[in-house]
Amino acid sequence: MSKYIPGQPLTAVVERIEIQKLRQGDNLILGFSIGGGIDQDPGQNPFTNDKTDKGIYVTRISENGPADVAGLREGDKIMQVNGWDMTMVTHDKARKTLTKKNQDVVRLLVTRRSLEEAVKQSMGKKQ
Amino acid sequence: MNNSKNQRDSDIQKKIDHEIRMRDGACKLLAACSQKDQTLEAAKSLQTCSTRIMAYMSELQRMKEAQVMQKVTRRSSDAGPMEDRLPCKGKVAISDLRIPLMWKDTEYFKNKGELHRCAVFCLLQLGGEIFDTDMVIVDRTLTDICFDNTIVFNEASPGFELRVELYSCCSEDDYSAGSTPRKLASKLSSSLGRSAGKKLRAAMEPGPCSPVSNGGAGPLLLPVPSVPGPKYHLLAHTSLSLLHVQDSFRTHDLTISGNEECSYWLPLYGSMCCRLAAQPHCMTQQMMNGCLKVKQLGGDPQSWKKVYAVVKGTSLFCYHQQEDVEANVEPAFTIAVNKETRIRASEKDPHSKVQNICISNQYGGEEVTHSLTTDSREDTHRWMEAFWQHFYDMSQWKQCCDDVMKIEMPSPRKPAPVTPKQGSLYHEMVIESSNDLSTTVSDILARRMQELELRSHLGTSPTWMSVFEENSPKSTVRPRPCTSRLSGHSPCIPHRPPRSPLSPHRCPQLSLLSSDASLTSDSDSHCSTSPCFHRHGWPEPSSNFPLGSSSPCRLRPRTLSLDAKLSTLRGRVYGGGGTLQCPCQPPPSSLLTPFPISSCSPRSQRSTQTTLSCSSSTSSNSSSNSEGSHSLESSEGAPFSRPSPARRSLRNLKARLDPRNWLQSQV
Repeated sequence: MSKYIPGQPLTAVVERIEIQKLRQGDNLILGFSIGGGIDQDPGQNPFTNDKTDKGIYVTRISENGPADVAGLREGDKIMQVNGWDMTMVTHDKARKTLTKKNQDVVRLLVTRRSLEEAVKQSMGKKQ
Repeated sequence: MNNSKNQRDSDIQKKIDHEIRMRDGACKLLAACSQKDQTLEAAKSLQTCSTRIMAYMSELQRMKEAQVMQKVTRRSSDAGPMEDRLPCKGKVAISDLRIPLMWKDTEYFKNKGELHRCAVFCLLQLGGEIFDTDMVIVDRTLTDICFDNTIVFNEASPGFELRVELYSCCSEDDYSAGSTPRKLASKLSSSLGRSAGKKLRAAMEPGPCSPVSNGGAGPLLLPVPSVPGPKYHLLAHTSLSLLHVQDSFRTHDLTISGNEECSYWLPLYGSMCCRLAAQPHCMTQQMMNGCLKVKQLGGDPQSWKKVYAVVKGTSLFCYHQQEDVEANVEPAFTIAVNKETRIRASEKDPHSKVQNICISNQYGGEEVTHSLTTDSREDTHRWMEAFWQHFYDMSQWKQCCDDVMKIEMPSPRKPAPVTPKQGSLYHEMVIESSNDLSTTVSDILARRMQELELRSHLGTSPTWMSVFEENSPKSTVRPRPCTSRLSGHSPCIPHRPPRSPLSPHRCPQLSLLSSDASLTSDSDSHCSTSPCFHRHGWPEPSSNFPLGSSSPCRLRPRTLSLDAKLSTLRGRVYGGGGTLQCPCQPPPSSLLTPFPISSCSPRSQRSTQTTLSCSSSTSSNSSSNSEGSHSLESSEGAPFSRPSPARRSLRNLKARLDPRNWLQSQV
């Protein structure tokens, strides 16, 4: 993923993922874990080469959970959740945005290295 | 022809009557209710009903005008009306409305001065349908106005105009009759000061800033009842149409009416974010079906396959038999019918009397053509007509026909939990005739403790709870409003020993408060100042509780900073040994490890959550914090034995504060 320079517009190849939350008793779960945030230490993020990236990453996916079924993968960086930006948020803000009680569906925009590479490859082929 | 018109007339008349009845009901409710929330809701219903009535009236007028016009044209020319091709209708849904606000940073962060509050809601109008969203109370602690409703309009044409209007009404606390007890309220209202009286009058009148919107249409044929009570004013509006429809979230501009002088003013950023999706019927319903014979061009001239074909969305589905459609069996094959498809009638086949229909598509680099034939000329004509209509629909609905956009039907949910009103302990105290102040106070504290326990089940108690546990004389209890942030709750039984799943220790846990409510220095000062208890025998804390409670001195040093506390924490919890483990490689005892669902009791599940609630500096967020944190790690079963709650909460507190960590949360 290209390095993010604060203040400059960011372009990324994103995939749209729609997750239907699963109801368990009184709670709605998505079936994955997130890490990262502007208040966290980015040097410990194992999913990115750029160790200054303070974005929100998917660190674990529960098998056959709602996120798995929807196509989310470990290592994905979440850019947007239901229109809310996730590139410059605290960890807790990200968690709260994902776990809003009255929402049954979350629509994520995620990016991953393989997407960028796929686009590059397809562009290369055309040439 | 006339019959259908009369039918439509009477439909609208019925709707108007219904709305008038609703409006009368809302007026009565407005006159009768005393609570501020109820009056705002009733005023909102009133506004909605009035707008609906006006829309129906104007539609009725338009229809009458059209009738008159048609009669005129009929007389002048005998030609019947030309049947223009009409595009199909569709469903349009708008959801996740969010309007950002732009408070001055001094107002937002310092949170000084009186809290200016407004009640807002949105009216959405498309064609003849008008819907309103729920009402939201907005004050300067909010950064965005969010409406969670999904509104679906069922019969929209592609040239639709969805008008979004934001109404707001000032809702000052100064003179609200709802929250203060009646005697006090009557005394206040009879002796309003000049400025308060001015504000009151300004709120009651429409105000000089902008005229009340009347939905834009014809003359008012019914008198609008003037009812005392809060009135909503139009704050901003915008119009959305087909080109704003997209399967993702977009931002649109708002036109703002009103200015800073108005009582209902809110500093809007000027834009609105929402998801506007459309499902034209041509994408979701069967537009045409029937029996056909299909052959791929270039194949064997005799290889006509008999199929039952359905036109839906961007394809022509060909099933072996009609029953397959209902049985949801996969079609035999599918022919694409989209914007790049070319359909034409071929020359007459010498063998049959009927023209064939040729459908050509580009698959990859190749052109593939299918031939369709029917049994009769009328059938062929009908199929061609259907295809033309389908193409016309797709050209009208444009980007909505690329793919089917998802629209969720708003599901009937449980009503949202009533958020406790913001306020300090003192607003909620009802001073009755009791002379003994200390018992009143301790009752209230006990009540607070109860709801604290009910919500968190941490089995730990705040500092002052120890007063009750030890049955010591309550003479000089000075409760600090540590719990002022947890406001509004049910009364309880005092003297309840805190429950803990693992250890029955009852030592006060200041960390509970700080993690539940806030991590700012506010709570710090609370913790450090709360303790003027005249107590002997502070309960022996287990090794985890560090915040000075083990010190036998009564007066806690007020200067104990958060850093110092943390270092004591660290020393005690980790035995001065290792560093805090990064949860990236979660050890089994770490709470941040997500686990598959288990049937663990709700208590132990929820005991982890409050520790990860966000640190916020405003009390209005704290209740939503614990709400949000209830969903956190709910699926986390815990077959492992947990460390005692206090140590865990402290560890988590520390983990959260330590910037060298990379936390993970399960959602």
